Amino acid sequence: MFSERERERYKRQMMLFGDEGQERLKKAHIFIAGAGGLGSPVSLYLAVAGIGTLTIVDRDVVDQSNLNRQILHNDRDIGRKKTESAEEKLHAINPDIQIRAIDTTIEEKNASGLVGKADGIVDAMDNYPTRYLLNDIAIKKKIPLFHGAISGFYGQATTVIPGKTACLACIFPKAPPKEVFPVVGVTPGIIGMVQATEVLKYLLKSGELLTNRLFIWDGMQAHAEEICMERNPRCTACGSMSEIPENK
Amino acid sequence: MNVKVRFFARFRELLGTELIIEVAEQTTLPDLVKQITQKNIEGHQAIFDEYGHFREYVIVMRNARRVDLADAGENIVADGDDIAVFPPVAGG
Repeated sequence: MFSERERERYKRQMMLFGDEGQERLKKAHIFIAGAGGLGSPVSLYLAVAGIGTLTIVDRDVVDQSNLNRQILHNDRDIGRKKTESAEEKLHAINPDIQIRAIDTTIEEKNASGLVGKADGIVDAMDNYPTRYLLNDIAIKKKIPLFHGAISGFYGQATTVIPGKTACLACIFPKAPPKEVFPVVGVTPGIIGMVQATEVLKYLLKSGELLTNRLFIWDGMQAHAEEICMERNPRCTACGSMSEIPENK
Repeated sequence: MNVKVRFFARFRELLGTELIIEVAEQTTLPDLVKQITQKNIEGHQAIFDEYGHFREYVIVMRNARRVDLADAGENIVADGDDIAVFPPVAGG
């Protein structure tokens, strides 16, 4: 059931997917790993779309040098926990949803508990070791992983449906070396929107997901392309999975 | 014979977006890419390790199919092939 305020807030998108679709979003719980460059646009747009519960995890405090891209935060937040800043902004932009902001490092020992009963994981991290960990949790819980990554004007995204489509370790069996990556805010904006759109489509059971495809964006050329990927039967993360989970 | 080679992300900045390369018969995939990187040390080091093998995180696609890097040295390119070489990006 929706309040009058919710009906008014979501009026224009309920023209697209009706009460039933909006109800699906309201009942959903999405886990967002990171409140930085990708986590900012992803969480803002999932919040305004009316995802009922958003869990957002980050361990950092806001730094001046974050502000060219991490649009959840502003100058007044410098020195504050990103999770505190995120909770405040997301609550302000949509008071009709639940925000769980958790200030911690995602590690092997806590990852499964942090994700809990979420319906999907958004990868808004900046490193591959944590991404592989999130991939493992998605496989274990049989929930989708919405991957995104950026560097400079380049970005990539893909959606993983465990047991059914190529997982992150099938696509990237080895992590690239760690680097301080250059970035301009528009790139995580674009890639974050691809991820958020994937989350909505998955929850709405509508459209074609970005599965078995790696979306590659080159902002300088204004050119996007996709590369077909497939499951690796010898994948160390998902190779032993044979069953196909039902789409939500 | 001619082969198309496309680079992405950082490799693109170092080596160019798309190149049509004339190669000899029996050219392997690593040799094809080395033909491009031989005059570009930075580009070469970004893609190949000190033994001249593709770095383990590099993704190589041949005609839209993933190339297993372990067998790349036995992979002989053919006229009209479309080769894509790219590094995963990591930021977030």
